[in-house]
Amino acid sequence: MTEHLQFNSDAEVFQQKRQFRFRLYIALVFVLLLFSFLVSRMVQLQWIEYDRYQGLAEGNRISIETLTPTRGKIYDRNHHLLAENKPVYTLQFIREKMNNIDSMQSTTIRILNDVSSEKIHNFFTQFKLKNRSRSYTLPFSLSEEQAAQFSVISHKYPGATLTARLKRTYPYGSTAVHALGYVGRINAKDLLKLDKKAYRGTDIIGKSGIERFYESTLHGTPGIQQIETNARGRVLRNLETLPAKAGQDIQLTIDITLQEFAESLLENQRGGIVAMDPRNGEILAFVSMPTFDPNLFVDGIDQTSYNRLLNNPDRPLINRVINGQYPPGSTIKPFVALGAIENDYITPAKKIYDPGYLLYKGHRYRDWKRSGHGWMDMNDAIEQSCDTYFYKLSLDMGIDAIHDAMAPFGFGKKSGIDIHGESTGILPSQAWKMATKGKPWYRGETVIASIGQGYNLATPLQLARATAILANRGKIITPHLLKTPHAEELQQIEIKKIANWEAVISGMKNVMHGSRGTARRYVKNLPFKMAGKTGTAQVYSLNSGSYDADSIREKLRDHSLFIGFAPVDNPKIAVAVIVENVGSDMETAAPLAVRLITKYMETQLQNSDK
Amino acid sequence: MKIDVAQPQYVYRNNKGLLQTLHIDGWLLLGILILLATSVAIVYSASGGDEAVTIRQLIRIGFSFALMLVFAQIPPNIIYMFTPWLFLAGILMLLGVLLFGDVGKGAQRWLDLGPVKFQPSELMKLVLPITVAWLFAHSRFPPSLPRLIFGAVLIGFTASLIVVQPDLGTSLLIAMSGLFVLFFAGLPWKVIIAAIAGTVLSAPVAWHFMHSYQKQRVMTFLNPESDPLGSGYHIIQSKIAIGSGGLDGKGFMGSTQAHLDFLPEGTTDFIFSVFSEEFGLIGVLLLLTVYSLVIARGLYIASQAQDNFTRLMAASLTMTLFVYIFVNIGMVSGVLPVVGLPLPLISYGGSSLVTLMISFGILMSIHTHKKLLTD
Repeated sequence: MTEHLQFNSDAEVFQQKRQFRFRLYIALVFVLLLFSFLVSRMVQLQWIEYDRYQGLAEGNRISIETLTPTRGKIYDRNHHLLAENKPVYTLQFIREKMNNIDSMQSTTIRILNDVSSEKIHNFFTQFKLKNRSRSYTLPFSLSEEQAAQFSVISHKYPGATLTARLKRTYPYGSTAVHALGYVGRINAKDLLKLDKKAYRGTDIIGKSGIERFYESTLHGTPGIQQIETNARGRVLRNLETLPAKAGQDIQLTIDITLQEFAESLLENQRGGIVAMDPRNGEILAFVSMPTFDPNLFVDGIDQTSYNRLLNNPDRPLINRVINGQYPPGSTIKPFVALGAIENDYITPAKKIYDPGYLLYKGHRYRDWKRSGHGWMDMNDAIEQSCDTYFYKLSLDMGIDAIHDAMAPFGFGKKSGIDIHGESTGILPSQAWKMATKGKPWYRGETVIASIGQGYNLATPLQLARATAILANRGKIITPHLLKTPHAEELQQIEIKKIANWEAVISGMKNVMHGSRGTARRYVKNLPFKMAGKTGTAQVYSLNSGSYDADSIREKLRDHSLFIGFAPVDNPKIAVAVIVENVGSDMETAAPLAVRLITKYMETQLQNSDK
Repeated sequence: MKIDVAQPQYVYRNNKGLLQTLHIDGWLLLGILILLATSVAIVYSASGGDEAVTIRQLIRIGFSFALMLVFAQIPPNIIYMFTPWLFLAGILMLLGVLLFGDVGKGAQRWLDLGPVKFQPSELMKLVLPITVAWLFAHSRFPPSLPRLIFGAVLIGFTASLIVVQPDLGTSLLIAMSGLFVLFFAGLPWKVIIAAIAGTVLSAPVAWHFMHSYQKQRVMTFLNPESDPLGSGYHIIQSKIAIGSGGLDGKGFMGSTQAHLDFLPEGTTDFIFSVFSEEFGLIGVLLLLTVYSLVIARGLYIASQAQDNFTRLMAASLTMTLFVYIFVNIGMVSGVLPVVGLPLPLISYGGSSLVTLMISFGILMSIHTHKKLLTD
């Protein structure tokens, strides 16, 4: 500030200060002028137009209500209603407007005679502590009769409003719940993700399955309604309405009749069934057993019921179709065989001798048939599910060739179904083991991998999809639940020789219809030809010694698997069935699949007759 | 001690009581305390008696009050020394926001620095006027044309960094705070008049470049009843709140508009509506009086300041405060378009409070760090 003095003389400084102060005065005048303007505005609003605004605020109130959009309905492929919205009645209370809460409480207890008085009492105890001016909803809905009872006496209770709303209802209850999913109350986690504007007035959101995946389609757009109410909050008239846009209805590929039948097959058991149309990937049945009732979740499930579901040892909440990862067992043999002959590791006619085991590096890998199958060609090996044939084959191929042959069928990756949270399963390879376990691959592991044991894991959906791709001779379909009118362009697995595919399929046909087929006893008098493959998945690896299913705890018993499709030449249905912990003595999966396919083929026949 | 007149003497006033020792200006402090007390009461009421919200506001008030005290201790020549660096830092942070900023409510305004998120544009509300004041610290009156142009470029550049966030409202207000410095530095009247005329004439061009939500706000401002269900709703409900307050108001905690959820953002941007509903015209007049006194005191401090830098800084910070008050009240009473802007010292929220209290700290510092010179 020394230079300051050097540049400006005293007179200049004085002059500068005077001019600055002049501008300060101008600023002050400017401030006072604009403040006076604000004051005049306030006088206009608060004094001159007071009566008008007073009237608007006190007498009649204009308020904006959100019109909740109606959620889209869900139908099955034959237009049976799977999810709909039914009217239910609820009570809302605003403390500020009520004159006698205690009498309201006793009236509520009297009318809602199906709810314990204790729960209602608890609600009111909480209610008395909450914000006076906000509306709180009684968490129990009223039947039509109860609602009528209340409306008769409602004039005595200002501050209580009866509202009719639509409640999501699943008429088929627990059927197909794992595909359909359910809606539930919006929670804090949902709130982070959703557009709050679009969910004004909505307190439910799709939580799982189709309800979640197609949330944006089903939800719709809320509308707004301007209403005039009196000081006590009663609606006087509607002023302007911007109607809500209902969510779109959607149609699923599920056939609910077939679904019910498939679920009945697994009654009292744990397991999964997937049936799909191999021509386009449409899922016809999507069964994960046991199931649960989605209606419980709609208004928020109570803790006791939820704990019961959560702690149920049969794990009903698990979606076995997409999250149940099972060792695929012998069901992968057709895919391994196809990979081997397509890539010239063996010819279909070449025979391998099975003494009942394979000796490799001092370890004896047993065949399921202790006495051995003798000389086997590829067709025999599939038909009789000869393990030794595949043990030997796999040593020629190596794990990476097996991996490369099976990957196009969708093993080890998500199928792309329209449900969130699908598991990938495991299709092992050398690179996979190094990446996940940090260890090199041992060739002995190739031997057990060739019969679907070891690291291999697949979901029922993956098995059904792979079967469908095999059935339609290499067209890569994406399984889906939403019925779409137009067929999508399908990719095709490269076929080197179609005879190879037919040879494998013929082997699978012999599983069902051949003289030594592992499932031949279930297909007597079948009016069509089908192809299939049985499998057993070891849950618990038993050291050598005798296998006695009864002596092992139930949960450690083997899973029974089956994949198959029909008719052989023009496949219309492909299925995968897994029954958990059945034990090897009762082959459950195969007969269930045969009954399911038969049922489907019968209805197809009836439909074409019509 | 011999006083050599050729050398300026840096001798500060001393021992003039507690306030002087703490470098606090009593009149400003009084006004600020009244406003902050009002803030606590009205935030409590507007939130429907929410104690958690009120306590959060009290904590913010305590924090920013402490900041004010800290800044009151810093002599203006220290601020002068740091001004270019502060400006550089501010510009870098604005660029940072554009590159890495957090998107909040559709605009990139926030910079996420680990535990704290803050808006660099909030900081610029202080730094830009100080920087322009720094630029004109040694200027003659009226300043030379190159210096004026340089000042205008500085303002324009800063504002343009904020306008692309996009935050038109804040960028206009920040530009305004810089323009106040130009005005007090002696911007010629003919330039001022030409600029005003130019702004009016270029309005159609600006319209062309506005975001649709901004156009919507302007349209709604011109005719709120045209969109009573959408953006006009805020203004209509706010006017009902103010109007129904009448002369003496509905009393503390008596705002039905806020408590029945008719009024949006009752604790933040629209807090004045709740205030006028509860305390009526009389309350509004008292509030405006307190604001006027604070502004008048700020301008008085500017008039008593000893050099160009502090003078310009004090005047422009005070006028910026005024603009904020005017724009907020004008907005909620329906004479200005809705721009998201809190009411100074009253609205619930931290960042605006911090900036304001720092600027009060600076004003107090200017007034209490004076050299004993013959004047």
